[in-house]
Amino acid sequence: SSRLPQTVPFRGSHWQTSLLGFRASLPVRAQPKKKKKVDVKREQAQKDRMKKKIKKLEKAAPEMVPIEDFITPLKYSDSSRVRSLAPLSSEETERRVLLLKKWCVFKQKQDKAEKQAIQALVEAQQEALKELRLESEELYQAAIKRDEQLFPFERDGPTHTPPLPGYDPPEGKCVDITKVYTQ
Amino acid sequence: AAARPRPWRLFGAMCLLRLPRITQPLEKEEEEMTALMGQIELEKSHYSDHEIRKLEEEEQLRRRKESMYDDDEMLGKTVIMAQDLEDKWEQKFLQFEAASRITDADKNNNRTSLDRRLDSNLLLLVKQKIGNQDLWLLPQVEWQPGETLRSTAERAMAMFLGDHIQAKILGNAPYGIYKYKFPRAIRTEDNVGAKVFFFKAFLQSSDLSQAELKEDYLWVTKDELGDYLKSEYLKKVNRFLLD
Repeated sequence: SSRLPQTVPFRGSHWQTSLLGFRASLPVRAQPKKKKKVDVKREQAQKDRMKKKIKKLEKAAPEMVPIEDFITPLKYSDSSRVRSLAPLSSEETERRVLLLKKWCVFKQKQDKAEKQAIQALVEAQQEALKELRLESEELYQAAIKRDEQLFPFERDGPTHTPPLPGYDPPEGKCVDITKVYTQ
Repeated sequence: AAARPRPWRLFGAMCLLRLPRITQPLEKEEEEMTALMGQIELEKSHYSDHEIRKLEEEEQLRRRKESMYDDDEMLGKTVIMAQDLEDKWEQKFLQFEAASRITDADKNNNRTSLDRRLDSNLLLLVKQKIGNQDLWLLPQVEWQPGETLRSTAERAMAMFLGDHIQAKILGNAPYGIYKYKFPRAIRTEDNVGAKVFFFKAFLQSSDLSQAELKEDYLWVTKDELGDYLKSEYLKKVNRFLLD
């Protein structure tokens, strides 16, 4: 087997024309030539296979993100956690049923009153608009135009006690531990 | 052809409401229901980690008292019991004092203050001269040609409370109308009476120290309106005021 010089480029052989064109000028055997073509073909086949695999993975449906609120952690279904309270007496159940019935009636009255109030509001507004129309069509048209600045309408709701003037809330640090799933 | 001018004079009035800052007290049925809901929730729930810890510690204490064995395991360990934690939290809570729901203005019945009756809507009333009478009214001003009624109402508000007032007017349409005929002495063919159109707005700015209130003014709730407004006017105003 001929020892092919690897590291030191030399000018001994008459096949070599320049120092730089070393590898190309040597007469390579037929075998290495086949290797090159087959290599190229093999490499291309490998690349195609990889691409097909990638396409398959992408086509597969994305994994669903689990909703942590709907999965009860196992430690809470332990039977030792069940509360032990005295069973309800019949008077208690009786009282509860009557209270629920009273609540139904109370809520029904409240709802009816609310609906009547809204109805009265609408009637008053319709009457006002009717009178306005009698006065001047131009003002009427300006009045029934949509108010773009009304929405989005934001308002802070009422609290149980009014804000304490000069109150300094205690310092605290909030660490966010929500799990973020990427698809 | 120009339309014949109508004999009614137009006014725009602003009904400025200060919305409630605290919740209304619960009715009797509501209180009973909240108690019942709390009880049912307690019955249906399971023990939490804190409660289990508390039960176990109570169990340990009881066993130690009964059997009186040496607590070598406990030597060197300072244990904070769940009960101690609860006591500490209770103490801390008792130290905090919230602001009172009934303010000083409530006690003095100072009707010009905005801090009165924090749980209900407050409405602005001003004293205006109509004809030759001084009446308590919602701030109103005569309409001038070239402006919409809404801007008339805004002008009325600015006239009595200054330009720096921040209020959210609820829409372009009037909420109510009060029309009246002038007394026969002033009534003419062209000047039969007046129509006052009411607009509603919510007060956004919480302090009115910058307001230049020149006339007499009051902030009253819906049930106190009867003390100041005339009956016909009051009837029309009540129609578009929610409790």
